[in-house]
Amino acid sequence: MIGKRKRDTSVVSKYKKGKKNEKEETREGSPAPAESSAQDIFRKFFEAQFEPLEVQGNGATERDFDSGSDHDSEELENLGSSESEWSGIEGEGDDENLSVEVVEYTAPSTKADALMDKRARKAFMTAKPPSFATDLGSTTDRAKKGADEDDDKDTETMNLKNDLALQRLLKESHLLDSASDLAPTGKNRHKALDLRMQELGAKKSLYHQKNMPSSMRKGIKARATSKEDKRRKEARENGIILEKPAPKTNHSSGRRERGVGGPSIGKFAGGTLNLSQRDIAQVQSARRGRGKSRGRGRGPGRGRGRR
Amino acid sequence: MATTSQPPIRLTSHKNFVYRLVFSTLTGRTVHISQIRPSSPTNPGLAPHEISFLRLLESVTNGSQMEISYTGTILVYKPGLITGSSAGAGSSSGGVVRHEIPAGCTRGVSYFLLPLCLMAPFSKAPIKVLFTGPGVITSSTPTGDMSVDSVRTAILPLFNQFGIFNNIELRVLKRSNPGPNGRGGGGEVQFVFGHQVRLPKTLHLMNAGKIKRIRGVAYSVGVSASNNSRMIDVARGILNPLVPDTYVFSDVSSAPLVPGGDRNNPLAKKKIGLGFGLSLVAESSTGCLFSADVASPPSGGQPPEDIGKQCAYQLLETISKGGCVPSAAFPIMVGLMTMGSEDVGRLQVGRDVVGDESAIQLARDLVKFGAPGWGLRDASSDEEKTGDIIVSVVGRGIGNVGRKVA
Repeated sequence: MIGKRKRDTSVVSKYKKGKKNEKEETREGSPAPAESSAQDIFRKFFEAQFEPLEVQGNGATERDFDSGSDHDSEELENLGSSESEWSGIEGEGDDENLSVEVVEYTAPSTKADALMDKRARKAFMTAKPPSFATDLGSTTDRAKKGADEDDDKDTETMNLKNDLALQRLLKESHLLDSASDLAPTGKNRHKALDLRMQELGAKKSLYHQKNMPSSMRKGIKARATSKEDKRRKEARENGIILEKPAPKTNHSSGRRERGVGGPSIGKFAGGTLNLSQRDIAQVQSARRGRGKSRGRGRGPGRGRGRR
Repeated sequence: MATTSQPPIRLTSHKNFVYRLVFSTLTGRTVHISQIRPSSPTNPGLAPHEISFLRLLESVTNGSQMEISYTGTILVYKPGLITGSSAGAGSSSGGVVRHEIPAGCTRGVSYFLLPLCLMAPFSKAPIKVLFTGPGVITSSTPTGDMSVDSVRTAILPLFNQFGIFNNIELRVLKRSNPGPNGRGGGGEVQFVFGHQVRLPKTLHLMNAGKIKRIRGVAYSVGVSASNNSRMIDVARGILNPLVPDTYVFSDVSSAPLVPGGDRNNPLAKKKIGLGFGLSLVAESSTGCLFSADVASPPSGGQPPEDIGKQCAYQLLETISKGGCVPSAAFPIMVGLMTMGSEDVGRLQVGRDVVGDESAIQLARDLVKFGAPGWGLRDASSDEEKTGDIIVSVVGRGIGNVGRKVA
């Protein structure tokens, strides 16, 4: 029994062939009467112990009966050498065991599924509220990537080109009239070029006017500040929070960079080192006690150098 | 806003306790709540979780005063400003408020999280709260609280529709189911709400769409991970034929340890909060979220298959009620709409959702707090009779008092 059961579970196809083989033998009219009687004895014994057995209908194996004959011969050869005695017992047992149900269990999770699982898990099981935006479609994108790499290159260059065009359009669209073409011409082209130059690192705009009547420049500046003030005032009244005003760059606050090798104190002019009262006081105080002298560090005693 | 000289709003009973206090804080009106469980012979007055919530309110606001009567059946709450958790003021290191929940707490941590979420956009500084202590239950509870996962996946994304989306985090550091008799747990949850606005956007949510995906989290604490897969298997068996895009993630953690109350051995710790549960979230094509939560009962005796099945059916039931918002998220949505700009926002909800007892209680309370009443009308869709109702809510335009002077 043990040997047979092993065959049942491990090699299903072989088992079927075995059954066919057995079937054929019975059809050919060579069933050993001794075997059947032995089977009857077994059955009677079994029925005495348990419930009566139903007689099996053998329809399942009959359908590939005719096609299986050539395989059967091979099968017989294979079996014949080593397992001749086992084949006999197997034949007996098979009639009963035809009812064995073969259950194929496949786990529902496949490998691709697991991969997606990992990415989706990463997106979902974070501390943030999930965006639900990570689609399953993106996995297929990744899988496809290897296949059409050539297409990718072409599309990549196209994308870059379009990207550049879009960037430029976004930056320079304020120059364009609604009706005009996307490629600027004339004055607008010069302005667009100027913008690009600035973006690439030009210090000043080409159109920055260097010399101008001072009253005009003052007027321009005053207008800009009044405009900004008005905007802020309106926002405050409406309860809108604006960005903080940009800090004014105060040149006087920083200490002026002095040349190397100059005197560390006083002012050298006309071949003489002039020391002011404060310089002298500073030197004296430094000699007395370093504790309260904040002169060296911050340098308030720079005399006339600082106003 | 404690300077208002208006008389306190008088309310009775313990129902809708947290949202009353939240609306009191948001509108700046003093409330006087009386008859809090007056007829209970064993536990009259405020319950431990309600006291704990008052403590939480005190730590995220500045200048709020509360008086509780001897029996605990009367509470007077005078709200302060919602300051959030700026470093130094009531919060420990790094500006994180550490909120300890006592061991006798029967409510899940979402009981504290939901009202805190509603207050957080109107805070002055970001709100960062760490929930710890021997009473933190992260799973859903028999008392009707949702799990922390559902809060994160079904409630927090809703704020996106009001223009509130930055720097919101809900981190589950330790999981815990309810302990013995449904009391206590040893979880740990960190909540960060860093997006404060002056006024939430006006919301018009009228199209529920169709359900397009279902996600979920199965958690098991201190029990075998196979419970998770069993729950997931059954839930997917029910939901997969309806929505193919269904994924439930599994999270397994060991049981949390809390100090055991042993007098002889004070250092001893005990395991608490064993169990498992499932949280499912369905998202519609228009971004509406529906959630369902079931966890194993503290007494045990329910196989994970039943939990999975119950949860799946609960999700289907929630969806079948219709509308754009399930009843779990209704107070938050309406609360934010009420606090929004002076404009009419519209929200389509199922008839059962708005006809729910808690929703009606919420409406009555809001009216007491001075909000204009809701306008209700049938959702008139010609092609299909959904039976939904469109709730029109007028915002009060107060918004963030602490933010106004910024």
